[in-house]
Amino acid sequence: MTKRYRLLSFAALVLAAVMLCGCFAGADEEKGLLRTAIKYDITTMDVAKTTDDYMIPMNVFDRLFETRVQDGNAVVVPSLCTEYKVSEDGLTYEFTLMDGVVFSNGNALTASDVQYSFERLLILANQNTDIPLEVVGGQDVMDKKTETLEGFKVADDTHFTITLSAPNAGFLAELSSPAMSIVDKESMTDGFGTDPAAMIGTGPYIVTERVANDHYTMVYNEKYRGPEPTVKKIIVKVIEDANTQNLMFQNGELDMIDLKNQDSAIIQSVYKTQYADRMVSAPNVGMIFIALNENNEFLKDVNVRKAIGAAIDVDTIITALYNGDAIRENGIIPTGVWGHNDNLQGFTYDPEAAKKLLADAGYTDGQISFEIAVDNALPSTVKTAAEYISQSLNKVGFNTTVKNYDHAAYLDVRRSGAMDSFVASWGMDYNDPANIMVTFFGSEANVKARSLNYPDTAIIARVAAAPAIVDDEARKAEYQALEQKIISEDAAWIPLYASMHLWCRGPRVASFTPQWAGFTDFYVTDVVLND
Amino acid sequence: MKRLLQAVLVLLLVSLALFVMLRIVPGNPVAVLMGEHANEATIERLTAELGLDQPIHVQFFRYLGGAIRGDFGTSYSLGKPVSQLMGAAFVNTLLLALAAALFAWIVGGLCGLLAAIRKNSIPDRLFMGFSLLGISMPVFMVAMILQYVFGYWLHWLPISGVSDWRSFILPAIALGWNSAGSIARLVRSTLADTLEDDYIDTARAKGLSETAVIWRHALRNTMLPTVTMMALQLSGLLSGAVITETIFSINGIGRLAVQAINGRDIPLLQGTVLFATALVIFGNLIADLLYKVLDPRTRREVKE
Amino acid sequence: MKDALRRMIRANKLSLVSLIVIFLLILFSILAPWLTPYGEADMDLMHRLSPPSAEHLLGTDEAGRDVLTRLLYGSRVSLMVGIVPTLLSMVIGAVLGVTAGYLGGAVDSIIMRLADIVLAFPSMLLAMVIMYTLGDGLFNVFLTLTLMNWGTVARIARAETLKLKTIDYVEAARSIGMSKGRIIMRHILPNCIPTLIVLFTLNVPSAILTESALSFLGLGIQPPSASWGLMVNTGRQYLFNAPWLSFAPSGAIMLAVLSFNFLGDGLRDAIDPRLRRR
Repeated sequence: MTKRYRLLSFAALVLAAVMLCGCFAGADEEKGLLRTAIKYDITTMDVAKTTDDYMIPMNVFDRLFETRVQDGNAVVVPSLCTEYKVSEDGLTYEFTLMDGVVFSNGNALTASDVQYSFERLLILANQNTDIPLEVVGGQDVMDKKTETLEGFKVADDTHFTITLSAPNAGFLAELSSPAMSIVDKESMTDGFGTDPAAMIGTGPYIVTERVANDHYTMVYNEKYRGPEPTVKKIIVKVIEDANTQNLMFQNGELDMIDLKNQDSAIIQSVYKTQYADRMVSAPNVGMIFIALNENNEFLKDVNVRKAIGAAIDVDTIITALYNGDAIRENGIIPTGVWGHNDNLQGFTYDPEAAKKLLADAGYTDGQISFEIAVDNALPSTVKTAAEYISQSLNKVGFNTTVKNYDHAAYLDVRRSGAMDSFVASWGMDYNDPANIMVTFFGSEANVKARSLNYPDTAIIARVAAAPAIVDDEARKAEYQALEQKIISEDAAWIPLYASMHLWCRGPRVASFTPQWAGFTDFYVTDVVLND
Repeated sequence: MKRLLQAVLVLLLVSLALFVMLRIVPGNPVAVLMGEHANEATIERLTAELGLDQPIHVQFFRYLGGAIRGDFGTSYSLGKPVSQLMGAAFVNTLLLALAAALFAWIVGGLCGLLAAIRKNSIPDRLFMGFSLLGISMPVFMVAMILQYVFGYWLHWLPISGVSDWRSFILPAIALGWNSAGSIARLVRSTLADTLEDDYIDTARAKGLSETAVIWRHALRNTMLPTVTMMALQLSGLLSGAVITETIFSINGIGRLAVQAINGRDIPLLQGTVLFATALVIFGNLIADLLYKVLDPRTRREVKE
Repeated sequence: MKDALRRMIRANKLSLVSLIVIFLLILFSILAPWLTPYGEADMDLMHRLSPPSAEHLLGTDEAGRDVLTRLLYGSRVSLMVGIVPTLLSMVIGAVLGVTAGYLGGAVDSIIMRLADIVLAFPSMLLAMVIMYTLGDGLFNVFLTLTLMNWGTVARIARAETLKLKTIDYVEAARSIGMSKGRIIMRHILPNCIPTLIVLFTLNVPSAILTESALSFLGLGIQPPSASWGLMVNTGRQYLFNAPWLSFAPSGAIMLAVLSFNFLGDGLRDAIDPRLRRR
């Protein structure tokens, strides 16, 4: 008897001790500290080697220009560059660099740093080579014939000229993308990208700590030239489990939560009810779309493709899966991008018309069978949408199945040009139609690498040439005409919707302005704390 | 020391098997890392840099050579040396496993003990009921309920991450839950059997208190099968750690392995699995030796 | 064997109940298409996450599919994944183990080294590596689970064989000149079977749990197919909104696991009272 009582009282004591300690869990947060979470750890801090991990490049470095939202439009504003002049033929740009800017190690920012930043992307030849390749001599650097970019001329420390091989009116927008972050030539080391101490930039923050697969920390850069932000320190934790993120935020262990990983039902029942006044939303500038492979025996028939477009009820997806937090997309150039055509007549949901198209073209029920591929890395809501789309198509007489590919296999098969069709998501890197039009339809290599195999070479050539049209209105008209042809006539691309990117602020965050394209990554200076 | 050599041989074979399995996967890991914007030339160059174009036996020996020196390659997805990543992670997994084992033994042992003493009464059925919950609930279910109840509802313990010793409590319980159930059942049955043996009755007749009977005689006989179970449990704990660490975001070997799979990160996957397996092999070796030491039969032999 | 079964049923009511439960589970999973008006993948997007009602006895999931239907179809997967690979690994393990035990020598060494390799890996990590190599999907889950389990079976079969090798009538058979193969098939294997059957019922639960763990990590069954493990994992985030999504399949898993465990215990008690665990 006594032994049992002893044991029980011991257990009770332990429990009480734990409880007491527990009451002190979640002690006072430091002033100026921002705690956030990401689902997957970044692969590298070096923007030259990644097209996904932009948080550190965006906050530790600056670019010549930035894209900011002003009056609801995304505009290119000067950043490190204070003045510029473009030649008549659109080939030569003269830039003036801001005076007195220093890197976090005290080195002065000069034009040769800018030149080196361009050259570095080409020398490494890893990712993000598209933009510097546009400069004269870019290919030579990438081919290892020289390390100097011919088209880049440094006049003095704050003046330089860039000459392009072909005019590109979107060049300034491109210069605002995170890939074009300016690095310090003098202090560049091999540890750049992996060693926090090597990340020397002119931006408002520096990386003080990085524990792989766990978290990284950025701290305010005292030498920063701009106004002092309220966030002095940000800790980004790696929490793969969406559910855990959800619990942590409600528990007060996170100051901000990115709701893209949460199901809309949870957003509806928890966030929009309990935290309605702290919700932040921004459009994901880009879209979810279906790509169709025109090498497929059925999909090469335009009637089949048009039937697909007519068989999908996008509005139900938006209402049921996103609770209305998404907008219908009808073309290729997404809403919010310069050149977007509000008047483009896309596909209308009409299952009877779809059935008729198939019958008239001579297809029997269930004859058209193909696979809809889905990348496992997509958010689960998109995957559910893909299921629903497959079901909708089957209702009008198709015989489709959704196949989940793991990320590696998905990229492999798609690149081989052999994927029947796929549902994918595209986010704009910079505010110019070329970013999507050219990537998908700008060359024969591109249409193959995206498993589209679009056969109209004349249109492809026009898409490739469009960025060079100097006159804004003419260029816009050309993009929109091409878009019209590809969508309405050829049905080579099925646009679906663009979802809103939602966040929720914790009680310590007074305001948060997302990045113009609705990126997950944001400028920490756009977060204002209450403390 | 024949056992030691055997263990090393198994380890070598394991690393070979692992190596081959991971290399025959179709798809170029470099291409994956580069993602959407990859171009052929860069993929080829990086493949050569990483030595992935060499024949398989050359790659294997190079790997072994490195492994002996403690160099397990560099993680593709995290960009750091695998040994460095594992070093940090190992501590967390070890702490977690120890805490889980502690929980399993103490709670499981107590349940079994109390059930055996009060055999066939209500406490017995209650404790055995708990042990059933222990062996049948999947790890992630336990973890999820613990997170919700103790982290979210009651705010007593952290939901994830490793901030201080308290962060290990919930994961340890989740991880040790299954083992606790098994141990409870084992202790109860072994102890119940022992308690009915003749010599126990003799001890009781001699006037020894119930407590002394339990401590001195019955429990000692229960130790042997329990220690044997310990060896089996190490493997099970490392298995369960994979899920527990993922849910609670604890930076351990299990979570690293999952990260490696998601990132198609061969060096990291190889390193973590090899490391965990080595732990199990040598853990079993130690358990075997302990068994020899503890087994009263062998001890008696040695004395003679 | 039949005697053992009869003994067990008479002595152990719990095992009898478990046997009935297992039988019912298997029956329901086979009859799934006839038991429910909904298809496995029928989505009703506008009514997703709805609570149990007259139309949907267990509610709907995050894609508007009927949960009860998914549970029934999922039972096919989970039970198959529990039973078939375990059975296969029993057969393979038994054959290899008995051969190793009986023939001894080099054959024994090779087979046992192979078993050592497989047994050295922590089970989850081995499963992850194999799934990574083979790719995901039901068939590969089968392969993985089979590969994981044959080692224990082989070891036990070998141990039994070593014991049996020395029994009188085996010696007698050998002296008559019966071939090794026949001896193994006629005398050794049949005597191992009771132990193996017990092992089988005790390994099925761990196979079911391993599959659910693999699905949790995204390595096993892929949506839209249903399996209990996958359902529990997807339902986790809706624990407050729609708890039935996780609890229904968890309950099913626990039911199956416990039933097989009790059955195994009962069989073991009945077959060999010396191993009895009350």
